[in-house]
Amino acid sequence: MSVVNEFLFLDNDFKNSGVAQADWSTKKMVWIPSEREGFQSASIKEETGNEVVVELDNGKKVTVSKDEIQKMNPPKYNKVEDMAALTCLNEASVLHNIRERYFSGLIYTYSGLFCVVVNPYKLLPIYSEKITEMYKGKKRHEVPPHIYAVTDNAYRNMLQEREDQSILCTGESGAGKTENTKKVIQYLAVVASSHKGKRHHYSLTGELEKQLLQANPILEAFGNAKTIKNDNSSRFGKFIQINFDNTGYIVGANIETYLLETSWCIRQAKIERSFHIFYYMVTGAKDKMRDELLLEDFSNYRFLVAGHVQVQNQQDDEMFEETLEAMEVLGFNEEERIGMLKVCSTVLQLGNIEFKAEKNQEQASMPDNTAAQKVCHLQGINVTDFTKAILTPRFKVGGELVQKAQTKEQADFAIEALAKAMYDRLFRWILACVNKALDKTKRQGASFLGILDIAGFEIFEDNSFEQLCINYTNEKLQQLFNHTMFILEQEEYKKEGIEWNFIDFGLDLQPCIELIERPNNPPGILALLDEECWFPKATDVSFVEKLTNTHSSHCKFSKPKNLKEKAFFTVQHYAGKVDYNATSWLTKNMDPLNDNVTALLSNSSSAFVQDIWKDVDRVVGLETMAKMAKSDSAAPTASKSKKGMFRTVGQLYKESLGKLMTTLHNTQPNFVRCIIPNHEKRAGKIDAHLVLEQLRCNGVLEGIRICRQGFPNRIVFHEFRQRYEILAARAIPKGFMDGKQASTLMIKHLDSDPNLYRIGLSKIFFRTGVLAQLEEERDLKLTDIIIAFQAQARGFLSRKAFSKKQKQLTAMKVIQKNCAVYLTLKNWQWWRLFTKVKPLLQVTRQDEEMNQKEEELHKAKEIAQKSEAELKEITQKHNQVVEERNQLQAKLQEEAELYAESEEVRIRLEAKKQELEEVLHEIEARLEEEEERSQVFQQEKANLQQQLKVE
Amino acid sequence: MAPKKVECKKPEPKKPEPKKEAAPAPTVPKPAPLPEPEAPKEPAFNPKAITLEYTADQIEEFKEAFQLFDRTPKGEMKITYAQCGDVMRALGQNPTNADVLKVLGKPRPEEMNSKLVDFEIFLPMLQHISRSKDQGNFEDFVEGLRVFDKEGNGTIMGAELRHVLATLGERMSEDEVDRLMAGQEDTNGCINYSSFVKHILSG
Repeated sequence: MSVVNEFLFLDNDFKNSGVAQADWSTKKMVWIPSEREGFQSASIKEETGNEVVVELDNGKKVTVSKDEIQKMNPPKYNKVEDMAALTCLNEASVLHNIRERYFSGLIYTYSGLFCVVVNPYKLLPIYSEKITEMYKGKKRHEVPPHIYAVTDNAYRNMLQEREDQSILCTGESGAGKTENTKKVIQYLAVVASSHKGKRHHYSLTGELEKQLLQANPILEAFGNAKTIKNDNSSRFGKFIQINFDNTGYIVGANIETYLLETSWCIRQAKIERSFHIFYYMVTGAKDKMRDELLLEDFSNYRFLVAGHVQVQNQQDDEMFEETLEAMEVLGFNEEERIGMLKVCSTVLQLGNIEFKAEKNQEQASMPDNTAAQKVCHLQGINVTDFTKAILTPRFKVGGELVQKAQTKEQADFAIEALAKAMYDRLFRWILACVNKALDKTKRQGASFLGILDIAGFEIFEDNSFEQLCINYTNEKLQQLFNHTMFILEQEEYKKEGIEWNFIDFGLDLQPCIELIERPNNPPGILALLDEECWFPKATDVSFVEKLTNTHSSHCKFSKPKNLKEKAFFTVQHYAGKVDYNATSWLTKNMDPLNDNVTALLSNSSSAFVQDIWKDVDRVVGLETMAKMAKSDSAAPTASKSKKGMFRTVGQLYKESLGKLMTTLHNTQPNFVRCIIPNHEKRAGKIDAHLVLEQLRCNGVLEGIRICRQGFPNRIVFHEFRQRYEILAARAIPKGFMDGKQASTLMIKHLDSDPNLYRIGLSKIFFRTGVLAQLEEERDLKLTDIIIAFQAQARGFLSRKAFSKKQKQLTAMKVIQKNCAVYLTLKNWQWWRLFTKVKPLLQVTRQDEEMNQKEEELHKAKEIAQKSEAELKEITQKHNQVVEERNQLQAKLQEEAELYAESEEVRIRLEAKKQELEEVLHEIEARLEEEEERSQVFQQEKANLQQQLKVE
Repeated sequence: MAPKKVECKKPEPKKPEPKKEAAPAPTVPKPAPLPEPEAPKEPAFNPKAITLEYTADQIEEFKEAFQLFDRTPKGEMKITYAQCGDVMRALGQNPTNADVLKVLGKPRPEEMNSKLVDFEIFLPMLQHISRSKDQGNFEDFVEGLRVFDKEGNGTIMGAELRHVLATLGERMSEDEVDRLMAGQEDTNGCINYSSFVKHILSG
């Protein structure tokens, strides 16, 4: 991982290097233009009026104009990950930043809203599974710049906001568009695969993901070629649309291609190659297949101009196997595969058909028809018919069929056109099959993510129709880019709630786009070209003349002044002026074909060939060509051409581009600008001027310029406070304060022009350069404080050293005194005696000590004995007491028993007493009774006595 | 009986005069002349224009310190230009290197170790330095160091502080920084800068 990190993460030490910081602030470093490096650093020595004297690194002094110098950023911005953060935005700083990062192996850099990537020309270990995991679900600022981060962001945005996304890779050939496109797909195939559980077995990714990944090798085999700049150059543009369901799983894909450069089939420069598939096939097809395809040696094919050119690190026969395997994955059957290869073989074979001019020079003939026979065998058509169709085709003139002999030039042109058309149709047929394979799922996609891989702005020495199409595309993409940049930027302002008045950036590319695509009033370049195609006797020169007449006043159009050629015109594109050479544009736009041959092919005995040629009515046939040549035939108007059965190349292109733009407009675009560092395919080398050129064309600087109009520097409150509080220390009261409030107080204290900043909800926004100034002030302030602190620290150290010195001095004095005393003592007799006696004294004292100790021991022993005796006594006493206690206990027991016994007696007595008492009561009662009775008797007795008395 | 040992007298480090006292003191016995209005920075330092305001005791003390720095073989009571700053600092001042160079009359670097200063010339220099206020106070320094406080927790990395002191401003030597920071870092290599500043200002 640590090895990997150096390709992703920036070594932070340098950023905070005080030395660099100090250097920058004291030396007034700037950039001045340099022949070799684009720009070189220098330090300002003197300023006088418009001239500045600067000192170069090598000590040389140079005088430059003030306009030529560009400000240098503080070193803290070195190798910054997002160049929108740069405080000084200029070409020099952007180039410097990209270059420094590139030299450190950091190929990805953000530039405001988009990502810039420089082709490393070597394999970097930054696309592994581990890295994929690292980027999964991370926000852009949490991880180093990477195509994965761009992709992941787009993917998450798609899921969260339910908005379709697009990733637009643009750049020159060899800048790495195709490679980065592949990485996007690779990343998505892993992250968004519906086969999550099995992800660690790569072979088991879902079939769809596998097909999606395998579609690319096929397209590359048929659509890529080796060019001077690029070993694997895509000769077509493509838009890959990956569909996802609601949960974010891939449910299907669709690939759209643009402008396959079929001319590669026919000729290439010395070290270049035609499309890969030809080399794969001729090297890889063996035995039976080789016979079936009627293949020959490389040297036999006229269309493979340079024979078998090898591509470094690539074995064509192995690639052939891989391509066939990929085809199998995508469901091409054996018959189809052979059919495809047969078409390829035919294209090669067509180049071998030779014509000779007859003596009268009007008519071409074919002395040897071996090649033609092979062509016809491969395509399943009759060779006589084919020869006739080429040499003496028939066409309608005023309702009658007429045979017309062709000249050698015409025949050669027809064959080449046929080869190109055949290959183009094959490519489209393959694409249709691939799309069918990728779109077979029944599930409805909820949203999609599109990846556009298309050539960037092209300015060559000779710019033709293809360049116009490419540049037109880029003009449109750039328009989209400006739009987005603007909308997104404004949205951020809105989100942060800062006041913002709409500013017209004046970067509307519409005039140029109109110049190219406007259908009428006045017709644009493409419309005029179409019109001219139907005009009898029209030539490329007459087209340019018409163009000049129509648009002479157009601000984006001009005629090159220094060029004498009449077929030239100039368009002022956003990325620069381009001189177009309109030679053979009429033919290119019509792309005429011998319809006699196409008719034969559409009736071929091979079903495969029939399929490829099924819509022949779209072909611009010889008929139309013938009409054009004849001055007497009626001139079809432009309006008629639209009603016609066929369309011009320009029309078709405009239409497919229109469709693409509609799609892109409905997506949230993510821009990836690919940069080619040098034309030598060398790693670690930057050709400054080449890169600058691309930065200009790619709109990197343009985009940054747009950024400058707004508030490109933004810092979250807390960071702003931490970094710049030193400048406004007194402004903020102690204790906690909300970041926004603190930042507001600080900026007020700093007395900045309110136009230079805006305070949002979470961030503070600055116009470009303001932060650099703050940074400078901060540096000065910090330096002051540091110097004062250093003075304090030096004082502290000096006093410490001084006090140490004083202590040392005192100590020294003490030692000296002692020494002096010793010296006098040393010779004093008594002292000498003492020193001699002293050791002896030591011995007697030992005995003494021994005795003392013994005595002590003795005493201790006595004490111990005494204690022992005491202990014994006490134990004895204790036992006695215990015994007594036992006795008493026994007595107590006895007594208790006695008591119980007497208690019993007492109870018995009590009972007896009760009994007796009862008896007593009874007796008393009886006594009473008796007494009563006796009373009664007495009464009676008295009565009786009375009676007696009476008586 | 062992003879009496010579008592090691507790060393009395001659504590440098506290800053406040070094500043023009109103308690000077002789009538103090009015402090000169602060001279504009531009004119070169003129030792003759300086009025000395030190007491005899103070001067005696300074002399002792000065003597301590005297490295001349015969003890001529002279120190090199390079030592001037150290002596001033030992005597409680906190001049910047620029301040010292200014009172020395902006000598060339090679003169620093070759040219000598005697005490009589040194005194007005010291007087001048002691009149200028110290730049920055505790709050300023803490504020200044806070910008290196990445975590916002009151500490900074020792390595970072070393780097700052050794590369910014009037760069300090490795050795100086080492001595300054000895024992200041915690186990994590962090320094509580507020106490660090306090520590420095207390010495």
